[in-house]
Order: sequence, then structure tokens, then C-alpha cells
Amino acid sequence: MTLATQDVRWGVGGLPLVDGVTLAVEPGRTLGLIGPNGSGKSSLLRLMARLRRVSSGVITLEDRDIASLSRRTFARRVAFVEQQATTDAALTVQDVVRLGRTPHRGALSPWNAADAAAVDTALAQVGMADRRDRLWHSLSGGERQRALIARALAQCPSELLLDEPTNHLDIRHQLEILALVQRLPVTSVVALHDLNLAALFCDRLAALHQGRLVCVGTPEEVLTPEVIFHVFGVRASVERSPRDGRLQVHFLLG
Amino acid sequence: MTSWPLASARPILVVTLALAGLVLSIALAASIGEMTIPLDVIAKTVGNRLFGTTHTLNRIQEGVVWDYRLSRAVVAACCGGALAVSGVILQALLRNPLAEPYVLGISAGASTGAVLVMIVGVGGGAVTLSGGAFAGALAAIGLVGLLALGSGGGSDRVLLAGVAGSQLFNAMTSFIVATAANAEQARGVLFWLLGNLGGVRWPDVWLALPVALIGFVVAMLHARALDAFAFGADAAAAMGVSVTRVRVVLFALTAAMTAAMVGIVGSIGFVGLVIPHAVRFLVGHRHARLLPAALVVGAVFLVLADILSRVLVAQQVLPVGVVTALFGAPAFALILFRARHAR
Repeated sequence: MTLATQDVRWGVGGLPLVDGVTLAVEPGRTLGLIGPNGSGKSSLLRLMARLRRVSSGVITLEDRDIASLSRRTFARRVAFVEQQATTDAALTVQDVVRLGRTPHRGALSPWNAADAAAVDTALAQVGMADRRDRLWHSLSGGERQRALIARALAQCPSELLLDEPTNHLDIRHQLEILALVQRLPVTSVVALHDLNLAALFCDRLAALHQGRLVCVGTPEEVLTPEVIFHVFGVRASVERSPRDGRLQVHFLLG
Repeated sequence: MTSWPLASARPILVVTLALAGLVLSIALAASIGEMTIPLDVIAKTVGNRLFGTTHTLNRIQEGVVWDYRLSRAVVAACCGGALAVSGVILQALLRNPLAEPYVLGISAGASTGAVLVMIVGVGGGAVTLSGGAFAGALAAIGLVGLLALGSGGGSDRVLLAGVAGSQLFNAMTSFIVATAANAEQARGVLFWLLGNLGGVRWPDVWLALPVALIGFVVAMLHARALDAFAFGADAAAAMGVSVTRVRVVLFALTAAMTAAMVGIVGSIGFVGLVIPHAVRFLVGHRHARLLPAALVVGAVFLVLADILSRVLVAQQVLPVGVVTALFGAPAFALILFRARHAR
């Protein structure tokens, strides 16, 4: 068991944004969170990343309440990639990835071989080793996203949480990023907008609607016309591609 | 691709050069003035006072060097260093290039405290000008802190609360000056507000030096946490930084450093804003390099500015804040211009 939520609730100003979600992530697999804007995907991820404190319920990592872990201990296990994170600082790709070693270093411990190795591995995993000296503001959207994923990987996490990592990327970069996430030897939870991409790259899906979990299961179980209509309010037909047997969602107009 | 001139230089070399520059600028500050005193006299004075040597010196020269110029230069160095370090910390924490030590309302509060002592006579002579300024600075920080927390505590809220607090305290200062001050007092207030190293003596050094050094050490212990703020507070938290604790510690630290310096020398503008940007241009963005560089460059800058304030106009001492702004603003413009080309 890795991350799990039990009847988790959280909201802002009396408005519930996450409303009684119970969900267990399967080790080593990729879980996709789908749902319309405001359905609670980002909020749930932020709660799982311990960036917000649950109002009620409990989130566990290996059956331990994550609120009982120190921030540093938690950050060595679980890494989080924000949506659209950026900086004004003139940092190189390598500088950015080095930041991921923060939870592994004390205030006085010098940069060591293990840190350097973790950074090199992370850069290689995302295919940015040849661009490690490039400056952040010279990177394309896809390169930035990869640098941020490398930063998260430099934490050497066993769980990786990603909030809409494909937002504002062109289709080629969307495919590249998600294929990368799928390949990584970690448990990942990914919030996604695009249902076809979710079907393509996730082992399991969880559909959220108004802060509640509607259903969770394999893409075949979750991506049905009924669930899509209930969650998104859109009529759709779901077919298997004659080419490779994968699920394809077609949206019906009118 | 990186273009910081000193980013790859050997640290030991840079540190040696920086400290040599600092010592030289302080020696120059002790040498230059209405009475020019040779550098060897300064070295001998320091030897006599600190290391028990027995050089024979002109008593007047030795007195001027030791009692007036050296204490003044050391306080200028501490003040410049502390303000620059505070600026680095605030720009990182608030992720805003315009953040500087006075953004939290510190100088405005200090000025109100100072005029209350100077003009209204609060404390009946028992409270010094410095004490009043320090108390005013703390009051302003408290008010701004409450405002910021009450409005949600994000970095934009801290800045807005600081603006509101500054406006309020500046208005109070103006109110007191306009209603209660005579012309002589108004001139005194104006001088103090622009920074005045004139009355500085050794007891001020024993406050300024520990504050600057302790502040610097605490900041260095948080250098990695400050690096992690580059992508915002949530990213820092996701990388294991205790964001709330770091913020509380470092805001309190910059507040205490700035309040202490403002209490001693008045509010000297521009150092806390400009030096961090200039230093970033030299050594890059990593705080383990940025903080020590800011400390030294800030110190040297203010010592040199103080020398200029004494020699620029014959027979007259300018407020040092006027000099820092006169030279800081064009330097800042140059940095911005070159930074654009470096991109």
C-alpha cells in the first residue's frame, strides 16, 4: 500500500472542494484523476502532497498518517509537480534539478556524490542531460515541464504526484510527458483533462465530480458514456480503436 | 550559457578579495575627511588600540581615527551588509524583485518613533532617538504582521500590508512634523530620515556588529530553504521545507536587523533593494553565494557612500541616503540594462 485517503474532506470558506474521498493508490501503477474544472482534482493532489491540511479524514502513506511525518521525511518519499510553476530567478536546468535534493541535505552538509548522481539520473530519465546548462527562461513549455519532473525525481521519491502536467503543451509534448511518466519506476498520481490521454497512459482512473469520487477502476470501467455524462455533462460514445484496441472517447454534439 | 562573472571563480579567492576590499574601504573611510590622515597612521592606531603596540602618534589624529571615523565606518559596513542581506531574504521569500527591508513598514514606523521622541518629547528624555526609532519599527512590524496574517498571509498580502502600514506611519510622521515641529526640528527630522552616520560611536558598533553577523549566520543556515522558494512556497513545501517556520524566523530576523540599523543611523534607502540585484548579477542566484556576497558588497557600498557624503560638498556632510540613491539609481539602471542584454 502506498498513498491512501480515507473519507477526506477539505474546503475553502465553507465551500467543500474535496468531499469525503476514499481512494487507495496501487503501488507501481499510474492513477489518473479526471473530472471537470473545480471537481477537486488539484485540491485532492495538494492534500496528498501535504501542501494543505485535511479538514477531516486521514491520508496515509504505508498506513501511517502523513500529518505525523516530518516535512523532510515526507519529501524524500513523495514528490509533487505543480501545474504551471515558474520562476523569475535566472536558474539553469541543473540548478532547478539540484533543488530536488533539498530534503536529503542538512543545512550544513556539503553537496556530495549521491546528490550529484541523483541529479544526473533524473536529468537522464527526462532526457534533458544535454540541456543541463540551459537557462530556465530559455526553455520551451515542454522542456520546463521535463525539468520540473526531473526536480521531483531528484528527490528520489517512490510516489510522484503531477497536477495537469500536459496543460498548455502541444500534442507531441503531451504524449512525450505522459509516456515519460508511465515509464518511470514510481507510483504516480496524475490529474488530467484529456480523457483519451488518460485512457492511453493510466493503469487506473478515478473520476471526481463536485469534490466527490464518482467511480474508480480500469479505464474500461470508468470511461463509460454514463460516467462521462454524469461527471462532465457531455454525451460521448466510447469505442475500441480498430488499430491497437485502445479506448477512444468520441464526443457527440447536439 | 550562464553569464555571472564570478559564478565559477574560486570561492577562496573571491572571499579573500572581498574581505581585502572591505578592509581597504574602511581604511579609506578613516583616512579621508576634512583632515586627511595617512593610511600608516590608521594602521598604527588600530595596532595601538587593539593589539597593544606602542607607536607614537599625534594624539589628535589618533583620536579622530579611533573615536570618530573608524566607529563610523564599521557601523556603516554593518548597516550596509545587514540591509543587503535583508533585501536578499525578502526578495526570495516574497518572490518579488521590488521587495526590500523597508517594504514591511519598518522605516516608516521607525520615523514615527523617532519624531515622537525628537519633537513631541515622548519618554521625557529617558528614551533615546535610537530607542524611539527601534520601538516604532517594532510597532510597525507588529501591525503589518497582523494585517498580513488577517488577510491570508500570502506574499502579495504581506506586500500590500506593508504598503498600508508604511502609508499610515508616514502620515503620522508628517502629521507630527506639520503640527508640532519648528523649522529647526523639521530640518533635523529630514536629515535623520535620509540616514545620518554623524553621531555614531563605539557603543553603536557593539550593537550593529553582532546584529549583522548573527543575522548573516542565521540567514546562511536557511540558504537552501531560500533557494527552494524559487518556485514558490508550495514548491518549497513539497521539497521538504517547513515553510511557515522558515517564514516566521526569516521575517523576524530581517525585521530585527533592519529595526536595529534604522535605530542607529536612520533609514538609508536603496541599499536593500539595489545591492541584492547587483550581487545576483555577479554571483548568480544560489543563496549560499548570494548572502555572503551581499553582506560584503552592501558593507563596502555604504562605507564608500559615507566617504562621498563627507567629501562631495566642501564644509558640509550630506545625508548618506542621498548619496546611496544618487549613485544607486544609475547603477541599478545600468544593471537592468545589461541584464536585458545578457538574456
